[in-house]
Amino acid sequence: MWIYEKKLQYPVKIKNCNPALANVIISQLGGPDGELGASMRYLNQRYSMPYDEVVGILTDVGSEELAHLEMVAAIIHQLTRNLSEEDIKGTPFAAYFVDHTTGVYPIAASGVPFDAKIFAVKGDIIADLHEDLAAEQKARVTYDNILRLTDDPDVREPIKFLRAREIAHYQRFGETKRELSSKSPNAESPHPRNHKRINKLSNVRM
Amino acid sequence: MDKHNNCNTGCNALMRRIRALDFAIQETVLYLDAYPDCAEALEHYHKLVCERNTAVAEYEQQCGPVTIFGNTSTSKWQWINGPWPWHYDAN
Repeated sequence: MWIYEKKLQYPVKIKNCNPALANVIISQLGGPDGELGASMRYLNQRYSMPYDEVVGILTDVGSEELAHLEMVAAIIHQLTRNLSEEDIKGTPFAAYFVDHTTGVYPIAASGVPFDAKIFAVKGDIIADLHEDLAAEQKARVTYDNILRLTDDPDVREPIKFLRAREIAHYQRFGETKRELSSKSPNAESPHPRNHKRINKLSNVRM
Repeated sequence: MDKHNNCNTGCNALMRRIRALDFAIQETVLYLDAYPDCAEALEHYHKLVCERNTAVAEYEQQCGPVTIFGNTSTSKWQWINGPWPWHYDAN
């Protein structure tokens, strides 16, 4: 179960509103490589993971992604607060505004609402860990692209923090996979017979 | 320390107590969210939180961490030890 902590993982304090920028950053909330997809992907992959080390990293990274989801939402909220009608008319934010006002709704920058397909749970330790490594890199690229689109230091600082965490997660997933492979070479084989053996090892400490 | 911490009867009993206290706190919190000025509910909340903290401290000493802040061992990382809450053996 989860308990909410009343704090952001890293502070978000944005002086100037910028609805057009919010319109692209929202992809890290509800887009294909966003924090909602990341958190649910990792937390749902845990149930079929046979090794405690992998369950641990998925639990802890998945929980941290929930904190990142809140940070992205805080950025969206602050970029769209105290808007006048003139701030919205004729900007790319107008289309979002007409559907959601200034509510925070999970949607991609391209306008596609969040799609659960991106949870990507295969139920196979190697397939899922490789998925996660790719997911962290794709999220890192999205943050790189956001940094290309803004000069506002108030926005750049929390985005840079989030970008750095994608790299840290990528490294931890990679190390977990490597540790697992060195301790249990069969885990690297995609052969169904070996997979069956891995599942039987549930709860067995390496 | 038993690596399958919940197989231990004492640990099972302690976890049942924590679960009951947490649920009582959850219900009290939902009530207080709607009635923040209710002194009686606030007093009940403090009594429950005190009991909860004691029970969690005892569990984490004897059985293992409940959250990432509760790895009491200074020599061993116990946080990842199974069974995990969704496993059959953990319930």
